[in-house]
Order: sequence, then C-alpha cells, then structure tokens
Amino acid sequence: MYGGGNTFESIKTDSVAQEDPILLAAFEARIARGEKIEPTDWMPQLYRKQLIRMIEQHGHSEIIGALPEGTWITRAPGFKRKMSLMAKVQDEVGHAQLLYSAAETLGKSREQMIDDLITGKSKYSNIFNYPTFTWADCCFISWLVDAGAIVNQLANAKGSYGPYCRALDRICAEESFHLKYGHHCVIYLASGTPKQRNMFQEALNRWWPPMMHFFGPSDKISTHTEILMKWKVKMGTNDDMRNQFLDMYVPKIWELGFIIPDPNLKKNEATGRWNYTEPDWEEFKRVINGEGPCNKERLEVRRIAEERGKWVRDALKSTQSNYVMPLA
Amino acid sequence: MKSLDPRVVRLPLTGKAGQINPKVPYDQFGTFEVFVQSKEGKLFQHEGIVHAPDLELAYVLAKETFTRRFTCNSLYVAETRNVFVSLLTEGNINVYDLIESAHSSQAKVPYEIYHLPKRGKQHIYAGSVMAGSPEEAMSEAKEKLNQGKVIYNVWAIAADQIRFTTPEDQELWITLPEKKYRDAAEYKGGDKLNDFLNSKN
Repeated sequence: MYGGGNTFESIKTDSVAQEDPILLAAFEARIARGEKIEPTDWMPQLYRKQLIRMIEQHGHSEIIGALPEGTWITRAPGFKRKMSLMAKVQDEVGHAQLLYSAAETLGKSREQMIDDLITGKSKYSNIFNYPTFTWADCCFISWLVDAGAIVNQLANAKGSYGPYCRALDRICAEESFHLKYGHHCVIYLASGTPKQRNMFQEALNRWWPPMMHFFGPSDKISTHTEILMKWKVKMGTNDDMRNQFLDMYVPKIWELGFIIPDPNLKKNEATGRWNYTEPDWEEFKRVINGEGPCNKERLEVRRIAEERGKWVRDALKSTQSNYVMPLA
Repeated sequence: MKSLDPRVVRLPLTGKAGQINPKVPYDQFGTFEVFVQSKEGKLFQHEGIVHAPDLELAYVLAKETFTRRFTCNSLYVAETRNVFVSLLTEGNINVYDLIESAHSSQAKVPYEIYHLPKRGKQHIYAGSVMAGSPEEAMSEAKEKLNQGKVIYNVWAIAADQIRFTTPEDQELWITLPEKKYRDAAEYKGGDKLNDFLNSKN
C-alpha cells in the first residue's frame, strides 16, 4: 500500500549535467523505447537516488501499513475475517520484502533502510499515521487505501526500473485480493444494522481527508517532476492519480449509500476531472514531519520489534552465507 | 506507550525512542535466488530473492514470500553467489555469441541453465547440462540449448548447490484449495450488494 508523491523535498537536477552525455543519451533512448533498466545497466546518479528513495519509502509503507490493520486481527468479527485479515497483513509484510530486495539492487543495504526508517530519516505513506478506532476503520483501509495503492502501483509497474516493475506486478496481483476482501467487508457493514452502517460512515468521515492526501500534494504546489516523468520513475502526476481514484471509487461509495464528507465533490463531466475541496496541505506537512496522531507509536513499535528481535538475528548469523547483491 | 492497542501499551520499553544502534550493513544474512514452478509441467521461473542465514531457512522463507497466494508445484533456492551469470546484452545480440567454449578436467556434475529471452522479464528455465565448471556449463549450454533465438542473459547453477523441493514439502501447497480465505473468488460480495441495492428501490 503506498501513496506516490508523499514528500515535499525538491530534487536537485544539477548532477544530471555532470553525467556522461553519450551514456545519458543511450539510457534515455532505452527508456523511450519502452525497455527496462536492469541493475547492471548504466544509470544517472539522480535516477538511482530517486528510485532508492521511492522504492524504500514504498517498502516502509508496507511495513508500517501493516500496523493499523494488524491491531484488529484479534478483534476482527469472526474466524473467517480473522484469517483473511491475518493473510492480508502477512501479504503487506511480504510486499516490503520484495520492495527492499528491489531497492538493494540499486546499492542500499537492507540494514541501512531499516535503520533509516526507525530514526525517521526515511518516510512512509502518511495515511498510516492515523489511528484505527473501530473495525470499520480497518475495513476502510482494506478497501479504499488499498484501492488507492493499486492506482499508484499499476501506474508505477509501467515504469522503467526492471526489478521494481517485477515486484509491483506480484504486489498488484496480491492487492487485488485485498480490494475484494475490503469491499466484501464494507458491503457487509453497509447492508447490516443501522449501527454498523453508522460505524462505517464515521470511519469514512475520519479517513476521507487523509485519503485525499494519500496521492501527494496538488500539482499546483508540488515540485516539478518532468525529468522523473521522462525517466519513467514517476508515471503520473499526483492530481492524475487522485482523479483516477475518485473516478473509480466515489461511485462505489455512493452506491452503498454513504455520504462523502466533502460538499464540493462533483465530477465535471465536460473535463472528466473531479472537483473537490482543496485538501489541507498544511496538515499533511505537519503529519509528515512527525506531528500526526500515531507517528511516534508507529516508529516505536517498529523500533522495539527491532530491538527485541536482535537476539534472534544474532543467533541465526552464520559464516556460511555471504551477502551478495541480488541479481534481478 | 499510549495506544489504542493494548498489546502496544504492554510492550516492554527498551532503548530510546528514535534511536537505534546502527546495524553493520551486509553483515547479517546471505541472499538466495528463488525459482518457482507454478504448475506441473510449467517451466521454473526466477521470482526474486530472500535473505537467510542458510539454504534450508532460505527455502522456508521463499515458500512464505513467493507461494502464499499463488499456485505452486515446486520451488527451489540457490545462494546468489552460486549463480554464475553471463553478460547482459541488448538489441539483437545473442549472449551465446559472446560465450567462448570452455573445457574443464573436473568431474562433471549437472548444472541448471536459465535464459532471459526478454529484457525486463524473469529468467526462465532452459534445461540442464553436465559440466565440470560454471564456464564449461555455459559453453555446454551454448551447444545444447542455444536455438539461435536472441537470449540476453544466461545463468548456470550447479545442481548440488540447490535446495530442491521434496515430495513432503509439496504437501504445503496441496492444502491450498482448503484455504478459502486465500482465494479471491471466495469474496463474493456481488449478491449481497445486489440485495442491498434492490432493497433500497
């Protein structure tokens, strides 16, 4: 699960001018032909750096994203839901494994990525800094946050870096389970008692603003990404992704009779774009910078798990095997 | 720690918030390449890697990571450093044209050969050869498995370096059909949704 453009950091493109122009031209031509870049191929420093940042953040989002849902496993309504949710949470952690492996092929070690997550140096998807008060919050994540993630991931799967695209193909296939499971959960709440319906309506009210933040800042205020688009690191603008999500899921939410808490939400049939109240980007920045309701808890849980797991890692350490960069 | 989750509240506090003893990069586990056969009769395909302290644990982790949701008939793992890799070519250059013949006086053992027929995709099983060294395996593959089609990359792995699936291992995947919650088709929300929509009209 991942929101594409969740940082404000501007990128410095100066380094591109230092690259060998012949190699750079060949690299860009390969991407323009629709071919993938593989770990052993030449690539500009900026490409490597941006991809590491992006894939790593995606991996961290999977790990941290498992926490707000994982907390509901023991309280999920019924055995089937417990099993389904447990399988889903395990998927998310598995996705992080796939993504970390892809990032490793670019030269950053897994140990370093985990350290950077815990010390707050690397970010993860902002939406997981919000709490899951009720079972309905958990259902919102399974259905709609995963839906948003699929919109991003399907786009990124058409990107230029081979190992990342292959990881995303697997991930998208598994996410489609989550989407069906999440929709199933919400349909049951929607067609249940007034109390159940109300529970989901309240979750929707809570989660709509972070869901609108999920795709990253509006194109009007986000830093320019032309070069990343050209190199197929970024496959669509934040607003494009947001619009696609609204197009696909707003009708499904309305169909169930729920009210989306934005009076301005309406599709402009002439342009095909959705109109909506501009999300509060100050709040978004505040939460990214650590002031969200759950930032501290999420990182603490991760850090304590890491500390408590240390003896297991030490016990397993062996001189038999050596780290070698993954092949593909 | 304050949390909605009682299990988080109960976590023993260790160390200091936001601080971690930096781990030494690459000192932990080795990497292992994972190859999966999704159905009987289908070719094995490279799926990705796992980190593990040894071959046996790599096998266990590969099962968890790569065969949870999808059908699997067999899988195997080999340590990354035991995978002998050719150059990666592009355009219409068949990598076999760049591989020189090699002979080895060592005792011959089986090698599993993988091809990359399409850049950007996975390596696919091409066949086995007998050779005394990885170089000889490449050279043998050139003779026996090169069909003139463009292959961009070749891998050779000595079979004795591979952890293969045993018949007992396969039982894990046989139980899969019973695990309905793992099957997307089991989440039939459609009928319930239609009932709900009809009841509103």
